[in-house]
Amino acid sequence: MKRYPCSGCSLLCDDIIVKSDGLFIEEVIGACLKGKERFDQVNAQNRITSPMIRKNNELVNASWEEALAKTVEIIKNSSAPLLYGFSNVTCEAQRAGMDLAKEINGFIDSNASICQGKILNKARSQGINLTTITEIINKVDLIILWGANPAETIPRLLNKILFSRGKFRMTGREIKTLVIIDPVKTASFRVMGVRDLALIIQPDKDIELIQMLKEECCSADSIPSGGVAGIDKSDLKRLLLHLTGAENGVIILGQGVIQPHANYDLIEELLDLLQLINTRQAKGRISLLLLGGHFNMAGFDHVALSSYGVSGKLQFENKKLVKSEDTIVSKINKENFDCSIIVGTDPISHLPHSLSSKLSKKPLILIDNHNSATSRIADVVLPTAITGIESSGLAYRIDQVPVELKKILNPPNNIPSDEELLNQLIEKLNGGAK
Amino acid sequence: MELYKYLPKTNCKECGMPTCMAFSLALLQGKAKVDDCPPLLKPKYKKQYEKLKELLGSEEGQEKELRINVDEDLCDGCGICVTICPVNARYCPPSLSGKAPEYPPEKHQLFQVIDGKCELLNLEYCRRLESEGRERECHVCETYCPREAIKIEYV
Repeated sequence: MKRYPCSGCSLLCDDIIVKSDGLFIEEVIGACLKGKERFDQVNAQNRITSPMIRKNNELVNASWEEALAKTVEIIKNSSAPLLYGFSNVTCEAQRAGMDLAKEINGFIDSNASICQGKILNKARSQGINLTTITEIINKVDLIILWGANPAETIPRLLNKILFSRGKFRMTGREIKTLVIIDPVKTASFRVMGVRDLALIIQPDKDIELIQMLKEECCSADSIPSGGVAGIDKSDLKRLLLHLTGAENGVIILGQGVIQPHANYDLIEELLDLLQLINTRQAKGRISLLLLGGHFNMAGFDHVALSSYGVSGKLQFENKKLVKSEDTIVSKINKENFDCSIIVGTDPISHLPHSLSSKLSKKPLILIDNHNSATSRIADVVLPTAITGIESSGLAYRIDQVPVELKKILNPPNNIPSDEELLNQLIEKLNGGAK
Repeated sequence: MELYKYLPKTNCKECGMPTCMAFSLALLQGKAKVDDCPPLLKPKYKKQYEKLKELLGSEEGQEKELRINVDEDLCDGCGICVTICPVNARYCPPSLSGKAPEYPPEKHQLFQVIDGKCELLNLEYCRRLESEGRERECHVCETYCPREAIKIEYV
């Protein structure tokens, strides 16, 4: 039977069997609950199937021409538009979004900049090895989960990397050691065996552990007897032995380590430690894997890098790329924008209230496929097809490997895909100017 | 040997076996029943008969009613049971590397994730019923389920 890639999360499992008659999806075999929910969104109650515009403080259904005309009007009246989202769309749509930003002299940024993009860019500049899922399956003997709980966020990840048997790791689970560093005992702790190491760290004390490991990297004799950050001495000794003795280790960084701190940069310290271990280690190496949530979180940086030579946010002025120190957070905080185009995300419920209230004051255009907190305050809502089910395209997996998503069904009411809609907008804007 | 202690030890051959020792082995393997030994049914051996019934009763019950329950509310379809189950690993090559097995499922396949939930297909091929020795104690699916959705029970 034919296998399709799943766009439920950033793991993009490419072994899903979908039983479909071309109109409906009957059964999904192999996908986790998260993937199943994604396939269920096709007929979900909160699906948007027709464009909506705000009239007299109320969202009402409108025709495509009406909605597009209103969108063009809002964009034309603004001088500093803000484009945000682009993590739940294909790379082609991200490219179209960048073209649109260039056309309207806007600022474009993705969810990755407040998430894993920070670590990715730093790791790239420091030359840290990123690894791929296949490599983990075939070679890895040490897996460290740092501030990550994949058993609940990306359900099939542990199945793929820890329990599977690979070319050089034929015994699977038995040969792989798991270390979890987390302040709370999460669901991931339940897959641990006797040889594994569970480290319950005190909240916000990661920096102490990293500094200790940096100092003690070569000798395990001078560890303080009272332990560090709530972890006792014998456990620290075992952690050091694992770190320096692993043939192929991987550190999986989750959302727990990306929050900013006032006095120090945790990510930089962590990457320094990695580099130190890699230079000291005689046997092998330790590499990095970043956990992102949205299915194409990694894609935006790649597309920006290949088309404009900059990874991450882009600021355009006079249809040219200019350097900017602003981020999406500082832009919204300073209210340095006069309209926003949100694509495939829900910032009103994700961002803190101080930012989301500022975002909601200005005109907001939403391009998405289901109702959310953002769709309630939007001025124009443009529906699109669900990527990976109703439209095809390219997406980047968590390990920065491109995967081709496929089309299974036709979208209802001939809704365009994200890419087609953004290109239509560019065309309309150009047509009006002539 | 414990079973042999409670037998009459007369080697009467009424059960069809050459010695009482052979009969005790047959009892252990489940090939014979306690009632197959005619002298045991006599009032003289009543205490020993009851003791033997007690010893064997618990073990016989275990073999017959193995049940693996998958809690549908807790399961999130991560597929760890599909990958880790030794029977699955032997008969469905894709599940070795963490992939979803073929559909329709193989004859011997135990677990399959359908619509985001794990489903138990053929319990009769489970190691606890099929294998011998220590493999009968297999409980990897229960141990490694991160949601604690799988429970092995004897009802």
